[in-house]
Amino acid sequence: MSRKKLLSVLLAAALGLSLLAGCGQSAAPAAAASSAKEEAAPAAAASSAKEEAAPAAEKSEAPAAEKSEAPAAEPAADVDPNKESIKVGAVRSQTGVFAMFDQTAFGPCYRMWVDKVNADGGIYVEEYGKKLPIDLIVYDDTSDMNQMTQLYQKLILEDQVDFLLPPVSTAFLSAAVPIAAQYGYLMIGAEGGSDTLKEALAKYPDFFSVLNYSVTQVPAIVDLMLEQGMKSAYIVYIQDTHGIEYSSAAEPAFKEAGIEIKEMKSVPADLADVTPIINDAMASGADAFILFTYPQITYPAIEVSKALGYNPKMFITGPGGSFESMKAACGGDEGIEGIIFEGAWNDKGSPEAAQFAKDLQEFNKDDPAFGMDWWGHIVYYASLEVLQQAIEGAGTLDNKVISQYIKDNHFNVSMGEIWFENQEIAHECFLGDLGQWQNGYPEVIDADENRTADPIVPKPDWP
Amino acid sequence: MSKTNDRGGARIKQQIIPIVIVAVLFGLSFLTRTGSALRPSYYVVLFVSILNYIVLAVSWNIFSGPSGYISLSTAAFFGLGIYVSALLGEKLPVPLLMIVAGVISFAIAAIIGVITLRLRGVYFTIFTFGLVLLLQYFILWYEVKFNNLRGRTVMAVPYNTVFICLLILAGIVLIAAYYVKRSRFGMALTGIGECEDAAAHIGVNTTMVKVIAFAATSFAIGASGAAKATTMIYIDPPIAFNVMMSFMPVLMVIFGGAGSFLGPIIGAIVFTLLQEQLTTKWPKWYMIIFGVVMIISIVFLPKGLVGSFGEMVGKRKKLLLIAATAVFMVVGFIFTKLLAAAGTNIGGLVFPLLFGIIGFVIFANVLKRGKEAA
Repeated sequence: MSRKKLLSVLLAAALGLSLLAGCGQSAAPAAAASSAKEEAAPAAAASSAKEEAAPAAEKSEAPAAEKSEAPAAEPAADVDPNKESIKVGAVRSQTGVFAMFDQTAFGPCYRMWVDKVNADGGIYVEEYGKKLPIDLIVYDDTSDMNQMTQLYQKLILEDQVDFLLPPVSTAFLSAAVPIAAQYGYLMIGAEGGSDTLKEALAKYPDFFSVLNYSVTQVPAIVDLMLEQGMKSAYIVYIQDTHGIEYSSAAEPAFKEAGIEIKEMKSVPADLADVTPIINDAMASGADAFILFTYPQITYPAIEVSKALGYNPKMFITGPGGSFESMKAACGGDEGIEGIIFEGAWNDKGSPEAAQFAKDLQEFNKDDPAFGMDWWGHIVYYASLEVLQQAIEGAGTLDNKVISQYIKDNHFNVSMGEIWFENQEIAHECFLGDLGQWQNGYPEVIDADENRTADPIVPKPDWP
Repeated sequence: MSKTNDRGGARIKQQIIPIVIVAVLFGLSFLTRTGSALRPSYYVVLFVSILNYIVLAVSWNIFSGPSGYISLSTAAFFGLGIYVSALLGEKLPVPLLMIVAGVISFAIAAIIGVITLRLRGVYFTIFTFGLVLLLQYFILWYEVKFNNLRGRTVMAVPYNTVFICLLILAGIVLIAAYYVKRSRFGMALTGIGECEDAAAHIGVNTTMVKVIAFAATSFAIGASGAAKATTMIYIDPPIAFNVMMSFMPVLMVIFGGAGSFLGPIIGAIVFTLLQEQLTTKWPKWYMIIFGVVMIISIVFLPKGLVGSFGEMVGKRKKLLLIAATAVFMVVGFIFTKLLAAAGTNIGGLVFPLLFGIIGFVIFANVLKRGKEAA
């Protein structure tokens, strides 16, 4: 072998060694932190036992605010008295195809939550005897599954975070939950809401799903259609988890209700032209046109419908239909008048909801990409409020104890009083399953007590 | 007598690289001891990515480097491997999953190779890229139509197990790459790359050589996909057949040096670390910096790091280049520390890596110009 080759090997070795040396900076502290965390486990278990002994009603009455006013107490003997913050880690799609969701869905909520908590001095943790501010670490997975799973490992193994926030989308959540469970972390979902998560809910007791989805929204659509005398539907669904799930739930539910499905059409996520589908739907003469699709198909479908003069009695849209930003894409308030969307909530739901809507808009007023999401925002924020109240109520950072606390208690949050059943927010806690744009306002139109306005059916003509 | 000694010496030297490979990989296997089975060290997690990219980049380089047939099918066979794990992950251990995925990839690549390796230049490249999309949409259609599902859960396996499996696979691929380059088979591939007609005229069965090389490297790519899938946990067709998996190995090889043995390895290591560091430290700048690094590499280091290093004449210049790169990396490290002291804690390897690349580019060009002037 030539000297040239030998030198190449040396170069590679030198490079490798220097890189390893660079990587090695945080190894020792990480190990130390790990050991501290493991040592804290018995205390957490004891705390858990103590919590279980107390009556559930009493526990739910222990409001976080009162605890935070308590005088600083001595930290428990087996926790690190020098701990200065609660490390919260998240892997979010800040670039790539899912970036829109971090920008407009869960993103604005967790950013406001951290800001509010820290402005208040932090979260009071009894075992530390003081308030601890949140140290938020967010990594960008570039909308790539490989990156996402690796970066959660980094948050857990290298950064030694105390809590994990969820990633974007049902698919990513499905992969992140087992990772969190493997290391004993609880995970409260955000954008992911799906029947496919049922398996994860059964398998991972420290996973909580928060968004309402097909199980309640498809029956809400059926109820509304029956109430309004709709007899047929033309359904378009995207070939992904959301579309497959909603269409699969709709087919038997519609048949059972006697609603004729004129066509059930699946489309790829990158469908380039919706015109043939709109033409087909128009020819079918169906009363309701239902899009279980995302904005990249939903918004063009609205515009093409306007262009072709297709105006069914009901025009129902999937994720993105609840985004305030749809107005800009589809001709303002008039351009979306009468469109029905999966969701839903508004500031009529409760004084807390009204305050939350006001706060979120104020917090994001300088972000040109921000727009209210009248399906998810309040649910996402409620999940963070639950986490905060559970930490304060349980008085520990132990994920297992907090997970159990969440299961055992009711919480007063922006949505009102909420609780979990089988690790999902109980259906009666939601402010609505279906919304409709009326004069630019997202009215809740469920055929039940959540309704904030009568539905406008048939849908008004396009402008 | 001296000729016999020379030949013996050459043979001994030829064995050094494989021995070094085995020794380094064996040394790396001790990383599993830095954590436990349930809580591995983050080094192990990081090296799973690095080893995965090493397998992909070196495999790509074995076939496309010398033959000049630019394949973008890496994501297709990687995705097949992922689906093998998704379907059989609960029934088979990881090594068997890798073998099954490898065999399936080999068979499909051989069939495709026989049909398409008569295509040349851009036609072959476009076909291989089309193969990724074809498989992605075919599996999506099949899953939706017949199974009424879009994604699948993959049986999770401890990182240490995946790490060891990929370590062994990387060892096999590296040793194969080293010997193929020095074999008659490797010379035939190089001949095809230089002038396929001439290679055919001197008796090389060009189609067979191309098909075997394409299929054999696809075996390794499929096997790597099967192992990596167990860390991804949930997959669907767009995730499994991610087109970036076709482009990243090519970029790594171009950066490190196409056709060389060490080029793809260095490219895979630097790119994986740079990607990990930039996405975590500078997420908004990630693609911009990545793009700039690639443009600088192509403009100023057209033969990649290893190719440019090989162009240095004389031991002194080579040592100077190594020293300059090392100094720049140290400066980058000090710069990071100074920023941290000033309250901007970027940390990690971003600056050492970027400074190292800049130092290498500057000195490689300065020393090369010196040579040309002389």
